Amino acid sequence: MKNSILLLKTLLLSTSGRNIYKYSKDKKKRNKVVLNTIGMVFLYLMLMGYSIAMCIGYGVTGLIDSAPVMCALIISALAFIFTLFKTNGYLFHFKEYDMLMSLPFETKTVAACKFMYMYIKSLPWYLSISIAMLIGYGFFVRPSVLVYPVWIILSLLLPVIPMLAAAFLGFLIAKLSAGFKKTNIIQTILTFIFIIFCFSLRYIIEYMFRDDNVQATLETAADMTENAAKYYPPVGWFTAAVRRLDVLSMLLLIAVSALLFAGVFYIVGKSYRNINSALDSHAAAKNYKMTGQKRKSPVMAIAFKEFKRMTGSTIYMTNGAVGELLAVLFGVVTLIIGFDKIVGVVTQNAPFDYSILQPAIPFIIYFFIGMVATTAFTPSLEGRNYWIIQSLPIAKKTVYQGKMLFNMLLSVPFMSLAVLCMCISAKVPMINTILYLVLGFMLCAFSTTWGCVCGIRHMKLDWENEVEVIKQGAAVAIYMLPNMFVVMGLTVLVVFAGMYMDHKLIAGIFILIAALLALLCYRIVMKLAERKD
Amino acid sequence: MNTTEKVMLSIRNYSKTYGGGKKAADNVSLDVCSGDIYGFIGHNGAGKSTTIRAVVGVLDFTEGEIFIDGHSVKNEPMECKRITAYIPDNPDLYENLTGIQYLNFVADVFGIDALEREESIRKYADLFEITEALGDLISSYSHGMKQKVAIISALIHNPKLMVLDEPFVGLDPKATFTLKEIMHRMCEQGAAVFFSTHVLDVAEKLCNKVAIINHGRIIASGTMEELTAGRSLEEVFLSEEADNDEK
Repeated sequence: MKNSILLLKTLLLSTSGRNIYKYSKDKKKRNKVVLNTIGMVFLYLMLMGYSIAMCIGYGVTGLIDSAPVMCALIISALAFIFTLFKTNGYLFHFKEYDMLMSLPFETKTVAACKFMYMYIKSLPWYLSISIAMLIGYGFFVRPSVLVYPVWIILSLLLPVIPMLAAAFLGFLIAKLSAGFKKTNIIQTILTFIFIIFCFSLRYIIEYMFRDDNVQATLETAADMTENAAKYYPPVGWFTAAVRRLDVLSMLLLIAVSALLFAGVFYIVGKSYRNINSALDSHAAAKNYKMTGQKRKSPVMAIAFKEFKRMTGSTIYMTNGAVGELLAVLFGVVTLIIGFDKIVGVVTQNAPFDYSILQPAIPFIIYFFIGMVATTAFTPSLEGRNYWIIQSLPIAKKTVYQGKMLFNMLLSVPFMSLAVLCMCISAKVPMINTILYLVLGFMLCAFSTTWGCVCGIRHMKLDWENEVEVIKQGAAVAIYMLPNMFVVMGLTVLVVFAGMYMDHKLIAGIFILIAALLALLCYRIVMKLAERKD
Repeated sequence: MNTTEKVMLSIRNYSKTYGGGKKAADNVSLDVCSGDIYGFIGHNGAGKSTTIRAVVGVLDFTEGEIFIDGHSVKNEPMECKRITAYIPDNPDLYENLTGIQYLNFVADVFGIDALEREESIRKYADLFEITEALGDLISSYSHGMKQKVAIISALIHNPKLMVLDEPFVGLDPKATFTLKEIMHRMCEQGAAVFFSTHVLDVAEKLCNKVAIINHGRIIASGTMEELTAGRSLEEVFLSEEADNDEK
């Protein structure tokens, strides 16, 4: 236990901005820590604002009783999904593996501390949601004073079970992959399969409800609570604990979290070294035959290097290409099942003309593409190997162009294919289809250049784990805001506008806006490339 | 050297097979006794680091056995790690800790009391001329300075067995000399040193025993006198490798 606390403390200290601020003699580095902290606090506040607004919505519509269950569901779902994306980089493939494993730590201690580190690092996000929803709930319901501490304490535990489930899945994937020669590829494919399964789960559950003819029960919030609690008991325990101060539910949540934690890391610890050994050890094939070599331009060479970097890292692959994969999958599924049927499922067969949704097609696909933090396609991921590129006789702008080119080569074909599938399925006229394809291209260009701006402005080369660049940090959070949340708003806006305006005109306006924004971001990137640092 | 003949490290028929069936280490057996400075030499990719990582409990293996001071690395890893120190060829330390924070972390892991650690850190930091830099972040250190911190952290608990992978890479001449002196002193006190190197001159002057590994197999091993028999280690290494490649 003493060693666990010591290791966890050291892991946190080794990535804390406070330590850098306190001991770094580089003023620029210290300023960056301050700015990053302010940026992150701002983002937490924004998330709190969003959660409070959601609570106000519940309060006004008389559904405030559902706030605890919504809080528990949101935190659990986010914790599960984010952990599934990150677990591979945190539990396995970490840089200091040799150093830690040679010290007298038990394998399960190392694995558990890595998990706890991941949990503590993501806690501010979950607490932002939880505290904000508690404020909203407190305002409308005026519960007993005891509810406040119970809510906060239990919401600290809420992410544990889904995170453990995701970490265990990650462990199973790694264990399965460890038996193969091409461990990285197998691990990436298996992770993709699980991610796609998770994203489809909502529809699978809805399908199950329909089969049981219990769809009607979903109509009311109270029944929704019961259903959520039935399929995922921790939500029920949390809800019962904060609504009725039910001691048994509190104890159940605490005990099950603790037992699962102990159980998972007992199992993980047993094969932890074995998995890491398999993932990190590769025999050289030593069968290369010298053949004719091809010459590439410096920009293409950087783009190709980025491609190899991506395919060599499971965490980069799963995080960098998941949006593209989901976009195409969504497009193909729409083509096979039919646009109307898909819209019917999503809108619960609401009676309206589905063709009004056509202008939203590029934005719907872009929602998936925008899930991918293109900030990863910037020098940050080079980490301490950045010197290789820096020492080459190429300008910074060439490096940035190469990385942006790779992101475009990755996103545009997937975007186009998905848009095309949806347009065919929705019977969109030819001219509109072409305009949507152009809009898709422009949105990809914006995503790429905007990601590059964020990545360069918040460059982080001294990371301990590539997850810090791909999935965390100020750059990723700032990038995600317009790309995911604003796009959701735009989707609604274009549908609304489409009822009154010509669809071609709407597409034309947004092509122009996206092109201008992409151009602006590109110019900022070029300006940043001229900066001397 | 060779004050006692207690076996500190015993590798018995150790093999490591990678995915695809390729053997990185093939039936490796050797003994390192207390008082030994044992050199492990071989060309790039010969299997040195794979063997060393298995010895220090980082790499899993299925065939053979490795014992440290009589404890099995497989079955009693904690007992083995408590008496072993490992310095990798390219130490990945926590970059955003200061040197002293990192050393205190390692001392805490080994349960070294405050006075003892202070004395130990002061002694070795002075020897490696790094005392003044200990308050700076490791990210600001050069490769050699990081190597020095890794060496100090390895010595902090007075290990019985020190395992080093290419320890002299990146060290300045003074630090190289200091490290050699420390190795000698440790062995005089009954500890053992097992290290890999490419620098055959250093191995020849420093080691009393040596093993040559080629394509995962030990092709020659023994005391330096036995092995060289009037020739230089370089000549022995090249001829042994050539003979083995012919076979």
